[in-house]
Amino acid sequence: MKKLLVSMMIGLVILAGCSSANNGDDSDNDGFANEKINVYTRDTSSGTRDGFMSGIGFKEAATDDSVLVSGFITNNNAAIMSAMTTDISGIGYVSLASVNNTVKALSFEGVEASEANVMNDTYGLKRPFNWMRRSDGDFANERERDLTLAFIAFLESNDGADVINDEGATAVSSTGNWATLVSEYPVCELDNSDVTLNFGGSDSITRIAEALSAAFSPRCGNVNTVNNHTGSSDGYKRAQGEEKDGINGVHIGYASRPFTDAEKVGAEDTRGQLAWDAIVAIVHNDNPTTNITAQQLVEIYRGDITTWGEILDAQ
Amino acid sequence: MKSLTRNKEIKGPKLGPFSASKTKRVQSPLSKSDSVVKVILSLFGFISASFIVFILFFITTRGILPFITNNNGLGSVNFFSFISGTVWLNGPTFVSTAYSAGFLIINTLYIAFLSLLLSFPIGVLTALFIAKIAPKHVANFLRTVIELLASIPSIVYGLVGVGLFLPAIYSFARSLGYSSGGGSGTLATVIVLALMSIPTITSISEVSIRSVDESLEHASLALGATPTQTRFKISLLAAKSGIFSGAILAIGRSLGEATAVSLVAGNAKSGPTFGLFDITSTLTSTMLEGLKETTGIDYDIRFSVGIILMVVILLTNFLLNQLKNRIGHQYE
Repeated sequence: MKKLLVSMMIGLVILAGCSSANNGDDSDNDGFANEKINVYTRDTSSGTRDGFMSGIGFKEAATDDSVLVSGFITNNNAAIMSAMTTDISGIGYVSLASVNNTVKALSFEGVEASEANVMNDTYGLKRPFNWMRRSDGDFANERERDLTLAFIAFLESNDGADVINDEGATAVSSTGNWATLVSEYPVCELDNSDVTLNFGGSDSITRIAEALSAAFSPRCGNVNTVNNHTGSSDGYKRAQGEEKDGINGVHIGYASRPFTDAEKVGAEDTRGQLAWDAIVAIVHNDNPTTNITAQQLVEIYRGDITTWGEILDAQ
Repeated sequence: MKSLTRNKEIKGPKLGPFSASKTKRVQSPLSKSDSVVKVILSLFGFISASFIVFILFFITTRGILPFITNNNGLGSVNFFSFISGTVWLNGPTFVSTAYSAGFLIINTLYIAFLSLLLSFPIGVLTALFIAKIAPKHVANFLRTVIELLASIPSIVYGLVGVGLFLPAIYSFARSLGYSSGGGSGTLATVIVLALMSIPTITSISEVSIRSVDESLEHASLALGATPTQTRFKISLLAAKSGIFSGAILAIGRSLGEATAVSLVAGNAKSGPTFGLFDITSTLTSTMLEGLKETTGIDYDIRFSVGIILMVVILLTNFLLNQLKNRIGHQYE
């Protein structure tokens, strides 16, 4: 018993000593070439994973773990961030909003991951979050139309942008404070608790959409909101397409991709973009890699590229 | 919970200092208010006991769905490959039904065993120190510290694991020439679980060591044994039944812990994992992962894992209790 205790104490001391021993001396390129890549990913129910895998052209990996390289590590957003501060040879991905200087954000196809590059549409690893409302003549009554317009004004306001940014996306417009804008929407002065606004469409946008609905309701006469998200194609179908007058019809439908030409049938002002969802590949700060391509990311996540040397040679 | 186990332990040695103050229950005719109180108390007793039935019923009805229904056209999950397979899900989520938890059972038991290997000696020796060696005020202080440790929520242990142990383990593995996944894996999980179970083992062992009959120790000392010999060969042996109960509770905590484990395990999707630096996953961490964002079969299957977990815990507890009874009390 005594011996066991002593040997365990020694083990702990060694462990603690090592933690501070060799930090940073692996950062030279030579040592890095044979470094095995540790692949980190979110789990299959994550919207970020969906955005990332579709963004790099590895769509089947969005919901299927068995196509990924063996030995990958599954973790949540925070844990991937913290792993990249310790794991020199790791690679992971997070949404742009989570990136800070504790990790290194890789440029994608030569374009630096920054909010400015997302807004000017040069950074490629992203997808748009779009909305589409019912056409003017399709509302059941004036009040529902006014509330829908008020909601769109809200999501474009500073308050709406805050909600969107809080959920990890990058809002594209912030037209002013809702407190002042609200005067243009007298419908919000009424008691709207007998009206229900229906939202639907993309399921990757569910969290943002629900947060927007929840923030909007108390600011506009406690209007009821129902969010039922089933997929991007239903955004158009249920707002302006064939299902718009059925039981699944919505006042606003969302899509997490650009609307196709076939979907752009309504007037120009019945659709718009609320946010960009930009995703960034991140590595340890000591990793000499600076840029990565979609093709390389696919090969890393599929297991065709297993060492950092193969990435560094290509730079 | 704690006081409950404590009372149980004190029963152990028959002639200890505690049993001297044995009070006889005075039987008096029940007054009206007494019988009302009795009814209320038995009602509460019944309610809390019936929760186990609700829980079992709820988990089971939900958990057998993937095996007996065709899961909205996806086909049912094969039970035998579920409990024996080595890959969590073969195929796309929401489409495939090829779930397996076999490797998770092995990982879970392996991790619980290793963590007990680490926490048991530390916990018991701490208890021995508090009960027999430490001066009174030191013992009181340590006892408070241990109780505080026991009440720290598991997520905090998990965060300590992420912030402190993962980097340390990562560097340690690196110095051995091994590139671990950020330090996540079996070793990190074992250390976090061991930390969490030490307070349980210590507080229960401490009570049972303290309640060992002092005359046994005096006899040992009088026969010429040194205090150290007495402590290890008499006090610890006499308290072994209580110490073993502590270990059983610790194993239960290790098997059932989800939050802290999922933060440091790395959540492997296949296995089993035996390497200390390799990423792993347990029944609980797999249940927890993505739980709030998933639906349909991918949600229901977590209840099936819950059934497996309950069976594993019940079986382990049963076997350990059998073992405990076989070991029995030393001096009776």
